[in-house]
Amino acid sequence: MPSRRDLVRCAVVGVAVATALGAGALAWSSTLLGEYSVMDMGSSDHGHAGHGEPVSAGASPTGASGTLTATGDVSVTSLAADPDRPADVRVELVARQQLVEVPGGRSVDGYTLNGTSPGPEIRARQGDLVEATFVNESVAAGATLHWHGIDVPNAADGVAGITQDAVPVGGRHVYRFEATDAGTYWYHSHQVSHEQVKGGLLGAIVIDPAAPPEVAADVEVTALLHVYGGQHTLNGRVGDEQVAASAGETVRVRVINSDPGTAAVWSASPFRVLATDGHEVDAPTPVDGQRLLIPAGGRADVAVQAPPRGAVRLHVGGARSIEIGEPGTSAARTPQPAQTLDLLAYGDPTPLGFDASSPDRTYDYVIGRRFGVIDGRPGNFWTINGRLFPDVPMFHVREGDVVAMRIVNDSGEVHPMHLHGHHIAVLSRDGVAASGSPWIVDSLDVHPGESYEIAFVADNPGIWSDHCHTLPHAVDGLIAHVMYEGVTTPFTINGDAGNQPE
Amino acid sequence: MCKLYAGLAWIIAAAVVVQAAAIAFAFGGVLNNVAGGGVVDKALLESGGAGGTGELGFWIHGIVGAGVIPLLAVALLAVSFFARAKGARLWAAITLGLVVLQVTLGFSITDMPFLGLIHGANAFAVVVSAVAAALLARRSRRARATRATAEEATEDAIAA
Repeated sequence: MPSRRDLVRCAVVGVAVATALGAGALAWSSTLLGEYSVMDMGSSDHGHAGHGEPVSAGASPTGASGTLTATGDVSVTSLAADPDRPADVRVELVARQQLVEVPGGRSVDGYTLNGTSPGPEIRARQGDLVEATFVNESVAAGATLHWHGIDVPNAADGVAGITQDAVPVGGRHVYRFEATDAGTYWYHSHQVSHEQVKGGLLGAIVIDPAAPPEVAADVEVTALLHVYGGQHTLNGRVGDEQVAASAGETVRVRVINSDPGTAAVWSASPFRVLATDGHEVDAPTPVDGQRLLIPAGGRADVAVQAPPRGAVRLHVGGARSIEIGEPGTSAARTPQPAQTLDLLAYGDPTPLGFDASSPDRTYDYVIGRRFGVIDGRPGNFWTINGRLFPDVPMFHVREGDVVAMRIVNDSGEVHPMHLHGHHIAVLSRDGVAASGSPWIVDSLDVHPGESYEIAFVADNPGIWSDHCHTLPHAVDGLIAHVMYEGVTTPFTINGDAGNQPE
Repeated sequence: MCKLYAGLAWIIAAAVVVQAAAIAFAFGGVLNNVAGGGVVDKALLESGGAGGTGELGFWIHGIVGAGVIPLLAVALLAVSFFARAKGARLWAAITLGLVVLQVTLGFSITDMPFLGLIHGANAFAVVVSAVAAALLARRSRRARATRATAEEATEDAIAA
């Protein structure tokens, strides 16, 4: 017979356990996101005190048709390229979920565009209007195309649940944008992107300059890096490439890092970095005994000179390389240099083109990590300014604002931060001011403990993702948005359209 | 409850052994991969597949280390309040504390590789504290059983 004391003890314990379980269930269910709009997301953050009145709104340089007024809201769908302008470059891209043949390796389950992965390389000339018709033939989860690094009008940004619905099987979507900035870019799905990009729903897009570049190249080659099922590929093939070039000729290698991790580029012979993320470096000097690191999602154009005899080997990524020079000759592999080229002080300084010294808005983007629950899923998640997704900041801007941002990495892993629709200028790192050619990027590796000051001009109205391009990190909460005043979206995430941008 | 307490403690100790085995398997896979001409870089690491044949080892180490063992350690502490054994709560708390430290260290190794030295050593501490907890519960259960037998014997003697 239990004593009275035991009975009381059991009752207390029972009540405590029931309360704890009830509170736990309530707390857990409160994290479920359900269908939501980015419009309702995040803590309202309008930036620190600005300087002066923002410049009045106008049409964006990318030719967006939507204009902003103080009262009338503009939908992201109306922020599009001029619908009456005929396209200069037309392309149709048909997506399929299928076995991807990897030449030189084994086939893997993934995605193709027009039957291959990577999809076809799109070539346009600066100023062209590009019209890409995307057809989803069999990608079950739906798919989109995001034009990584190109400052497209918002309607063409391709982010499921923000700028469009994921294109269902049998559906199609037309992307139209002006190829305003020359350079090396790529396109990829932004629906369940951590899966679909990994599976190969991607391709290269190169915009040739209207005027000859500072360093003219005799030969041009694209080097798209991607890992398919554990196999490192170069332009979709498990194998190195040979590029024929006569002695003294300059070869421009457009390296595209479509993988979720940093890629190293190095060579035993000096090379020059002509461009980062599509933006030319002013007066690039030879890089000798150093490696260039390209963040996940980032690109770099590298110039290599063919030697008087034989070939030079340019290592692109850890596993692949390109041999440049006399056909049939080979160059030895060379170990990766430990020293990294610092782009903060590379090339000659030239004016940025805007005044970053007195920004209209100043934001913090501090990355941390802690245990928590996101959408009912427990885990060790990334935080932004100390908060877990979806309680992350919304970076409100007005068209014409100069926006400064301090990106700090207080976590233990590198984060390649990617802002859609804009290019950022790096102002300083850990308090050291940039002293080289303007370092303009759309994907920036922020290493543990580093603090970057960056700035950009809010010249492309819309709602833009600002996230980590190690895509599983975005799934784990490392995503925020830049939201222009007066812009709204009719699209939702997790709704009937099945939009899951990350 | 003492039985459950001891059972949980033994499982924690065994899970640490699984962790050691899994990570050795994983790094064996990495070395095998590299020996076969494979290259392990950040791209491969983030895409999965760096472990080659031992990839499952990384997966097990992650799931068991960041999920299973912490949950077991929390359960051990909860059960300790109902286990009638002296020191049960203390050893459960020590075990949970060491596990929390272990997980924190594990997630910090990428940034600070030297922490790996402590991570490895602390694994043994988790085993020792879990085994101590298990033995303590067993001792206490045996002591109670002996007492009960003695009392029964006394009652029998009186009855006789």
